[in-house]
Amino acid sequence: MLFTMKSEIQHFWELLWAMTEKELRSRYKYTIFGFFWLVANPIMQMVIIYFVFSFFMKEPIAHYQYYLFIGLLVWNFFSLSLTKGTPCIVNERSLIKKARFPVSVVPLSIILSNFIHFILALILFVIPVLFLGTLSFIHLPHIFFGLVLLLGFTIGLSLLTSALNVRFRDVNFFVQALLIIWFYATPIVYSISVIPYKFMWLWRLNPMTSVVQLMQYGFLGISPPGIAMLSSNIIVTIMIFLLGLSVFRSESKNFDDWI
Amino acid sequence: MDKTTAIKLTNVSKDYALREKSTLIEKFIKRKNKIFSALKNINLTIQKGERVGIIGSNGSGKTTLLKIIGGITPHTTGIVETYGKIASLIDLEAGFHPDLTGEENIALNGLLVGMNQSEVKENKKKISNFSGIGQFIKRPFYTYSSGMKFRLALAVAVASKCEILLLDEIFLSGDDKFLYKTISWLRGINRRQNLTLVIAAHDPMFVWEFAQRYIMLDHGKIVELSINDVMSIRRKNASLWKKIFPHTI
Repeated sequence: MLFTMKSEIQHFWELLWAMTEKELRSRYKYTIFGFFWLVANPIMQMVIIYFVFSFFMKEPIAHYQYYLFIGLLVWNFFSLSLTKGTPCIVNERSLIKKARFPVSVVPLSIILSNFIHFILALILFVIPVLFLGTLSFIHLPHIFFGLVLLLGFTIGLSLLTSALNVRFRDVNFFVQALLIIWFYATPIVYSISVIPYKFMWLWRLNPMTSVVQLMQYGFLGISPPGIAMLSSNIIVTIMIFLLGLSVFRSESKNFDDWI
Repeated sequence: MDKTTAIKLTNVSKDYALREKSTLIEKFIKRKNKIFSALKNINLTIQKGERVGIIGSNGSGKTTLLKIIGGITPHTTGIVETYGKIASLIDLEAGFHPDLTGEENIALNGLLVGMNQSEVKENKKKISNFSGIGQFIKRPFYTYSSGMKFRLALAVAVASKCEILLLDEIFLSGDDKFLYKTISWLRGINRRQNLTLVIAAHDPMFVWEFAQRYIMLDHGKIVELSINDVMSIRRKNASLWKKIFPHTI
């Protein structure tokens, strides 16, 4: 019994890694610039947003290009994971029709491959930040915790949306629409300090607030999230994570019937 | 159950929910879905090492039965017991990624059918040799012909050391040479390793070379066929063929 448990867990990780490798390999296949797109995308976004928003920013944010860039990196990971993760069960129907296997590796491999990209981009980002002199070892736990929070929230939400999308294909469209609004509901292009206090509860419901703020603090030393923000964001993250896990678990048995 | 049982189905039924439109709002308006019973109260015991042919017209539930045995789709009621590692060849493209090469697909597909990383590495050469698709092994899967896809899928299943093999008739689409190789291999491994074989086909002709026991599915119900029944079905089908294609011999 114990032996089968152990080999099952090992099989899960091997499968997850193989699927992630597949994701990584197939993403830049038939592209000319390959991994260059990893940083080219957020740089282009950053340049445009910087150009536009610097016209009507009342209070300038220190190191605004860097501020934008770190927020965009985090956001790109999140939105790409959700965009690709939500329809992934339907897209990978050929795998699900083949054999009984832990289906959760399908969305998880998408998230993991995006996460590897994200970490690589983050490492490239560190180089210019080193010259800025805002980075110190004391901030490392904040960065680490921000990443854990981001990963937990993305996994929970992707499991939820990918499981629901099998039966209700509306979910995919809903997620697309939501992501556009969500981008502006997260302090990426602006600072949280411009939000009037009576609306603050909205940002407290959005775990991406703390994630972005923790990263901004970690890399650039810009004010960290407050205790109320952080704790309410953590609670939402845990709730979404557990909800996603349980919905995925109960729905995954029936995937084959709906695809 | 005794140790010689490979597959045992007790009162197994399978209902599919039918829905014309699948929107979230509709779900809340009318909760009840129409139901289509694909399988009704199936009782079936297959011994280890048996070669079973499942006969039935299109839509009679053959594939659903294979999928339930393989654990790919859940059954609605009843008990499904299987003993031994199962590999299924039901859908030609299943378990393969069109953009990956044959080699890369072997790794993925192997893990999917329950091999571990080291087994995949060990068997990579063997699989590509058995499949006999030559230099195509380094080309993406979408460039493959149906025959090649079949060969690769079968080769992986062979290497996975499965104890129960589920085959749908689509998998009898390889060319003569490969079919011969497949038949002789399946017989050999059936004899040597006590492989349990379940093959679905709409005409007994396709499974004639494999099966020693025949089961007929008719609108979700199961009937055990004697060899005489099978012969009369074959004769009936043969005369039907003559009617459809009067100019062939």
